[in-house]
Amino acid sequence: MSPFHSHFEALRVNRRSFLQQSSYGLGGLAMAMLHQKGSAATADLAKPDDWKGALKAPHSPVKAKRVIFLCMAGGPSQYETFDWKPELKKLHDQAFPESFTKGQQLAQLQGAQLKARGSFTDFRKHGQSGIEVSDLFPEIAKQADKLCVIRSMQTEQINHDTAHAFMNTGSIIKGRPSMGSWLTYGLGSETEDLPGFIVLTSAGKHGQQPISARQWSSGVLPSRFQGIQFQSKGDAVHYIGNPDGVCQSTQRQVIEEIQRLNGFLAEEQNDPEIATRISQYEMAFKMQSSVPELTDFSAESQATLDRYGVKEPGDGSFASNCLLARRLAERGVRMIQLYHRAWDHHSQIEEGMKDGAATVDGSTAALLQDLEERGLLEDTLVLWGGEFGRTPMGQGSGRDHHILSFSVFMAGGGIKPGTTWGSTDELGYRAVEDVVSVHDLHATMLSLLGIDHHRLTTKFQGLDVRLTGVGGNLVRGIVA
Amino acid sequence: MTLSLMNKVTLILGVPFVALTGVHGAETSAPAKVSFNRDIRPIMSDTCFHCHGFDANTREAGLRLDIREEAIKETEDGVLAIVPGEPDKSEIIIRIFDEGDPMPPDKAHKPFTPEQKELFRRWVAEGAEYEPHWSYAELKKPELPKTEAASGNPIDAFIRAELAEKKLSLSPSAAPQVLARRLSLDLTGLPLGGETVAVDYEAQVDSLLASPHFGERMAVWWLDIARFADTVGFHGDQNQRIFPYRDYVIDAFHKNKPFDVFTREQLAGDLLPEPTKEQLTATGYNRLNMMTREGGAQPKEYLSKYGAERVRSVSAAWFGSTFGCAECHDHKFDPIKASDFYEMQSFFADVKQWGVYADYGYTPEPELKGVNNDSPFPPEIEVESPWLKRQHHLAGEALDRLLAETSASLQSDAKLIAARDEWEKGLAPFLKSHTDGWLTPAPLEGKILKDGKPVADRSPAVATTGAIAADKALGRGESLEVTLDPAGLSTLASVQLGIEKGELDAKTMADRAGKALTFSLAIRDSKGAVKKLSIRHAEATAKRPVFRGGGEVIGVQSEWRLPAVLSVEEPLRSVWLVSEPVKLSEGDRIVATLGGDNLLPVKLSLSPLAALEPLETAAPKTLVALAAATRDAEAVGLVDTAFLFSTAADRAAYDAAHQLAAKQREFREGKAWTMVTLPTDKPLEVRVLPRGNWQDETGPVVLPSTPSFLPGRLESTPEKRLTRLDLANWITSDANPITSRAVMNRLWAMFFGTGLSAVIDDLGSQGELPSHPELLDWLAFEFRESGWDLQHMVRLIVTSETYRQSSNLRPELKDADPANRLLASQNPRRLEAEFVRDNALSIAGLLNLDDIGGPSVKPYQPAGYYEALQFPNRDYVADTDARQWRRGVYTHWQRTFLHPMMANFDAPARDECAAARVNSNTPQQALTLLNDPAFVEAARGLAARLLGDQRAKTDPERITAAYRIALNREPAAREVEALTAFLKTQQDHFSAAPEEAEKLLAIGLSPPSGLEPSLHATWTQLARVLLNAHETITRY
Repeated sequence: MSPFHSHFEALRVNRRSFLQQSSYGLGGLAMAMLHQKGSAATADLAKPDDWKGALKAPHSPVKAKRVIFLCMAGGPSQYETFDWKPELKKLHDQAFPESFTKGQQLAQLQGAQLKARGSFTDFRKHGQSGIEVSDLFPEIAKQADKLCVIRSMQTEQINHDTAHAFMNTGSIIKGRPSMGSWLTYGLGSETEDLPGFIVLTSAGKHGQQPISARQWSSGVLPSRFQGIQFQSKGDAVHYIGNPDGVCQSTQRQVIEEIQRLNGFLAEEQNDPEIATRISQYEMAFKMQSSVPELTDFSAESQATLDRYGVKEPGDGSFASNCLLARRLAERGVRMIQLYHRAWDHHSQIEEGMKDGAATVDGSTAALLQDLEERGLLEDTLVLWGGEFGRTPMGQGSGRDHHILSFSVFMAGGGIKPGTTWGSTDELGYRAVEDVVSVHDLHATMLSLLGIDHHRLTTKFQGLDVRLTGVGGNLVRGIVA
Repeated sequence: MTLSLMNKVTLILGVPFVALTGVHGAETSAPAKVSFNRDIRPIMSDTCFHCHGFDANTREAGLRLDIREEAIKETEDGVLAIVPGEPDKSEIIIRIFDEGDPMPPDKAHKPFTPEQKELFRRWVAEGAEYEPHWSYAELKKPELPKTEAASGNPIDAFIRAELAEKKLSLSPSAAPQVLARRLSLDLTGLPLGGETVAVDYEAQVDSLLASPHFGERMAVWWLDIARFADTVGFHGDQNQRIFPYRDYVIDAFHKNKPFDVFTREQLAGDLLPEPTKEQLTATGYNRLNMMTREGGAQPKEYLSKYGAERVRSVSAAWFGSTFGCAECHDHKFDPIKASDFYEMQSFFADVKQWGVYADYGYTPEPELKGVNNDSPFPPEIEVESPWLKRQHHLAGEALDRLLAETSASLQSDAKLIAARDEWEKGLAPFLKSHTDGWLTPAPLEGKILKDGKPVADRSPAVATTGAIAADKALGRGESLEVTLDPAGLSTLASVQLGIEKGELDAKTMADRAGKALTFSLAIRDSKGAVKKLSIRHAEATAKRPVFRGGGEVIGVQSEWRLPAVLSVEEPLRSVWLVSEPVKLSEGDRIVATLGGDNLLPVKLSLSPLAALEPLETAAPKTLVALAAATRDAEAVGLVDTAFLFSTAADRAAYDAAHQLAAKQREFREGKAWTMVTLPTDKPLEVRVLPRGNWQDETGPVVLPSTPSFLPGRLESTPEKRLTRLDLANWITSDANPITSRAVMNRLWAMFFGTGLSAVIDDLGSQGELPSHPELLDWLAFEFRESGWDLQHMVRLIVTSETYRQSSNLRPELKDADPANRLLASQNPRRLEAEFVRDNALSIAGLLNLDDIGGPSVKPYQPAGYYEALQFPNRDYVADTDARQWRRGVYTHWQRTFLHPMMANFDAPARDECAAARVNSNTPQQALTLLNDPAFVEAARGLAARLLGDQRAKTDPERITAAYRIALNREPAAREVEALTAFLKTQQDHFSAAPEEAEKLLAIGLSPPSGLEPSLHATWTQLARVLLNAHETITRY
C-alpha cells in the first residue's frame, strides 16, 4: 500500500463519526492511524490553514491546479453558441420530425406542436483549428485555438434547480458536496489568506433564473469546504468589514484580547477546539485585510480594466467578476465559480442571446488571454457552459430546456487546445458521437487535477459518496 | 489488556467504527472472542457485501456472505466459502491471505490490514458465528451491571462497568457553577445570565424542564429532523405557511407529549377520529418536503422526487437509517430492498399534493387556477396562533386606551371641542340631503386611457343606476378615468365603490368573478392643477385573497379581487380611506381612475366621513348619533370617533390610531394558515422504479407495508390497504425495535456530543456498533416502557453522574480512548447556531423571552443576500420591533439562502431530514461574532448593562459582573488584569476619537443608552471580547 493510500483511507472514514469523535482535535481516528501506520501525516482536519488535502499524493499527473467555472446559468442555446446546425436552419419553422422527439422528456413544450427553430445567427470557422463559433461571440472566437469545444454534452435533469444540482454535485439528492468542495477537500488550497472555493455571481437583463447557495454547499463534507459567495453589495464576504467606529488597529486589539482569554482558557481546560479557535481568529483577521486587498482593483491598469470591460470595479458585473477571477487564480484559490444568470430564453431568444453574448464574450476572452499572458492558463482549467442546453424546437420566440445535447468549452490546464469533441445529430437534437455525461465531465476535470474520481470519496449514511455517483469515465480524447 | 485493546482500536480503522468495548461487556481476561457484530460485520459490510451481499443483481460467484446458511453452503462452483472452525479449508480465508489473487480484489481499493486478516481467521476458527444486526434485533431489557458505586442511576452503572473493565473511573463532578451553566444551556439553550441558581441540582433540573424554553430548545433538535423551513426549497424557493407546526412542536416538548402520540399526530393526525386543529397542524410534517413551482417542471417527475424524499426523511427520523440507496436497487450493505423503499413511499401516496404547484398551460391543474409565485401552497387550514392572538389583543388594548384618551380630551380641550362643533355644524346640511352619508355624483366627463393617455373615440358608459362601466373590456394597460363634481362636499374623507344588488345579470356576474379592480384618486383644482391622493387603507365586504410573498395582503389596497363566486343577490362594496381627509375648495374636481382585468360597472360614491376601519365609514349607528338632538354617552363616543377620523383635527391621535390599527391588522385577529395533510381517497399509484427512473413503468405496483427487515411486518392486502396511521402505530409498537433506539441515540448525542452509536444517521450495518450497546438498549426499553416519556429520559440523563462529570478531557486517555467514547469525562461542545445567538442576546439583556411561538422573524442580514432569488424577487426587511431580538429558533428559514449567521454556525438548510449537525470551527464563525451587527449590538447591550449596574463601580467589579453574566463564574486575577489593561487602550482610543464611539454605538436598532459615548464604546469593546471568547460559545 502506498503511503498516500493509508492516509487517504484514514480520511475516508465517516465524516460524521469523525467530527464527533474528534474530541482531541486531531480526530481520534486520524490520531490512531498515526499509531497504526507509523506515517508522518500531519494534516489536521480541524485547522483549515493546515489542510493539505485528503490526497497525500496525486492519483495521476497534475495538469491543472485550479478551476475557473464560468457557469452560464439558465442554459444558453447551443445553436447560437457552438453547435452549428445548417439542417436545422433549413427546417426553420417547419414541423420538427417526430422520429426525434417521440417518448422524450420535454419541459414547457409538453403537449405543444413542435416546430424547428434554426439558429438566428451564422457561424464561421476560426483560428488554425477552424472551430466553428457563432457570430455572437467574436472575441471568444478569436481564442478558438485555446478551446476544446464539447458538443456532445448530456445531462439528466431538465429543470434549472435540479440541473444545477446535478452539474455541481453529480446528484440531485440534497447534501451532496459540490465540485469545489470536493476539490478543496481533496487537494486543500494554495492560499492561507482566502477561502479555497469562491463563488461570484452576476446577472444579465434577460433570461434570469434563480440559483441557490446549495450549489456551492459542502454537503456532507465539513462546512469549511463550502464555497464562499462574494457579494456584489456591501462587504464582499459576509461580516468581513469591521463594525463602524472600529478601525483595523482597534479590531486587532480586540482580537488579541480574545486570543489572550482563549490562551488562558487553554491552560485551564483540556479542549483542543480552543487551539483551533485561536487559529481561526488569526485566519479571520488575515481575511479582513486580504479580501479588501483582493477586491481593490486600483493596481490594475486602465488597459486591463478596458480589456475586461470593467466599468466600475467591484460592481458585481460579469466583467468585474472575470477580473476578480484572475486575481483569485493568482492567489491560489482552488475553485473559482462565476455564475452569470442570463440564459433562460423561453422567449425573445434573439434579444436575450445578443445581450448575454455581448456581456460575456469580451470578458471571457480577456480572462483567457490574461491568464495565458501571466502563465496561469497552463495550470488553470477554465470551463464555460450552462446546466443544460436548449431545444432545437422553438417555443414561441425562444427555446425550451433540453438535456439530450448541449455544448460547453474547456481551456487551459491539461486540455487539448484547438479541438472539438463529440457531435450531435443533423438537427442537434441528440448527442450521438462521443457523448459526454456530466459525470464524465467531472471525472475528466478531477483527473486533470490529479484525482481518480473513484478514489475521492466520503462515507455518508452507509454509502461511499463521490462526485461522480456510480458513473463517470475519463474523456481521454480531450486531454493534452 | 491495554495492549490488546489498542490493537483492536487500530486494526479496524479502515471502517467507520471504533470499538473499545465488547458487545457483552464481559468479565474477560483472555483476548475476547471475536464478535461478528463488533469485529466482522463492519469489515464485511465495507468490503464484501458489495459483491457478496443482499443485492442479488450485483452478487458475484453465487456467493452470499451476509447470511450464515448461505456462506457455509457449497456454491454452484463447488466452493466452500466458510467452513466453521476450519479456516484453512475456508475459501474466504485462503483468498484473504492470497497475495497473488487477493480478496477483496485490488480494484476495490479496500485491502485488508494484516490485523483484519487475522481477525477473520480467528472468527472462522472460533466457529464463524453470526449475530443479527444489533439495531434490527428484538429489543429486550438488559440487566444492569453490578458496580460498586451506586448513584442509583442505571446510566452510571453501564458507564462505570465499562470504565472499570479498563481500570478507569469517572471524572469528578464539574464545579457547581460550571454544571449549572451546562444544564441551563443544554435544557433551554440559554445561559443563566448572572441569576442565582437553585442550590439543589435536581430542583434546577425540574425548573428548567418545566420552562417553555425547554420546548424551544428541543424544537431546534426536532425541526432539523422534520426539515422545517419557511420556504419550499426548489427553484423560486417561495415562502410557505407553516409556522403553526413549529408552535406545535415547541408545545409538544413543553407539555411532554408522549413521543408515540407526537409520532402519530405528525404522520397521521388527519386520520385520527375527528381530528383537532392541533392534530391537523401536526400533519404539516408530511408537507415539509421541498416543493416546486418551476415552469417546465413535470408533475410526475416531482411527485416521484417528493415521494422518495419522504421515504428518506421518515426513515431517517424514525429508523435512524436512510433507505436512500434502495431507491435505485436493493441495498448493498443492509437487508433493505428496493420494494421496502417503495412500500414505505406508498404509505404517503394519499397525501394531497401537486407535483408542480401552479396551473401552467402545459400541465393544467384546475384546482390551482390563479395561483402565482406569490401564492401559498395548499392544502392549508386556518388555526389560532397564541402569539398572534396575544399581539392582536395587546394592540387592541393600546388602541382602546388611545381612543379613550382622545375621547377624554374632547371633553376638556376647548380648541378641539370648538373644532368638533364647527365640523358637526358644517356636516349637518350634507347629511340631511345624503342620509346614508354618501354622495354619488354623475360623472362630468370620462375617458378610456391607454398607458395613461386618452384613447380617441372611446369613453366610459354610465348606467341608469349611476354605475360607471367601460365601453368594452379593458385591454392591457388600459384604464377608465372619470371626473366628478363633489358638489355639497366640503371634505373628502373616503370613497366607496359599490356593486348593488340586482345591478348585473347572472352571466355578467359569473364572467367577472375573481377579477381584479384597481382604483386611484386625484383632485383637480379650478386652475387645472392635479394632486394625487394616496389611499390609507381600503377594505371590501367580500373579496378573493391576494397574496404577496406567500402571505395574504391585508385589505384591498393594492387591488380589489372580486370573490370567486359572485351572487346577484349580495351587494358588494369596498371603501377606500383617503390617506388624510382633504378639504375641498370651490371648483375642485375629483378624478377617479379605475382599472383591472375586467371591470364591472361600479357605483362610485364620496363621503366626508371616515372611520378607522373603512367599512365602518358612515355606519348607521354613527349616522343616527350624528342626527340625534340629544346624545347618550355611547352616541357622544360615536360622534367623537367620527370627528377624529373624518377630520384628523387631533393629528397626533389620528396618526397614532391609524398606526396602531395597521399594526393590529397584521396580527390577523390571531389567526394563521398552516399547511396540513389532507388525505385523498385516490392514492397515487406507487411502483418500484428501476434505477429510480420515474419514467420507467416496468416495475411492480406496491402497496404500503412496514419494512421487511424489521420484526412484526404489517402488509397491505388488496382488500385492506394499510394507512399512515397503521404505520405510526406500528412505529411506536413493541414490535418495532429500532425507533426507540434511534431516538435515544440522538438524545444521547444532545447531551454528550456523540451518540452511543456515533453514526447517528445510520444505525444500519454501515453505521457503528454502539460503544455501550446494553446501555442504548436499556434506554430504548425504558423510553418505551415509560410511555415514551421524553422528559423522563432527559431527567435520567442529566441527573446521572456521567453527565455531571467535569468536561476536562483526560490527557492520559488521549491514546487509549481518543474519541472519549468510554466517557471518562464529559465532552465540551460548541453551542448550536441558534443558541450562539440566544446566548449573546441573553447576556446582552436584549433577548425577547416573553414571546413563545408565532411567525418567523427576520434578524439583521447583509443586504443583497437574496439577489439571486427570483419568482418572486425577494427583498429582506429586518424586523424593527421586539421581533428583532427573538430566539434563533424563530429565524426565517430560507432554504436556498439560509441566514448567513445560521449557516456559518452549521445550521442545516433543512432540505431534507438532518439528524446530526456538523460542529465546525471556521474563520466565518470568527467574522460573524466579531462583525455581525447582531453581536456588536449585543456587546453594546452588555456594556450598558455593566455600566448601569449600581453594585459594580470599579473596573474590576464590572469585569467580575461581566464574567458572572456571561460565564457564570468569577474571573481569575490574570483575566481581570488583562481586561483592565485592555479597557485602558480602548478608553484612550475613544476619548481621542469620540466620533468613532458614536458610530460604534449606533449599530443596532435598540435604543441608545444615554451613557457617555467614549465610556460606553470602551465597554462595548470589552463586551465584544467576552462575546467572542471560546468559553462563551462553548458549553463545558
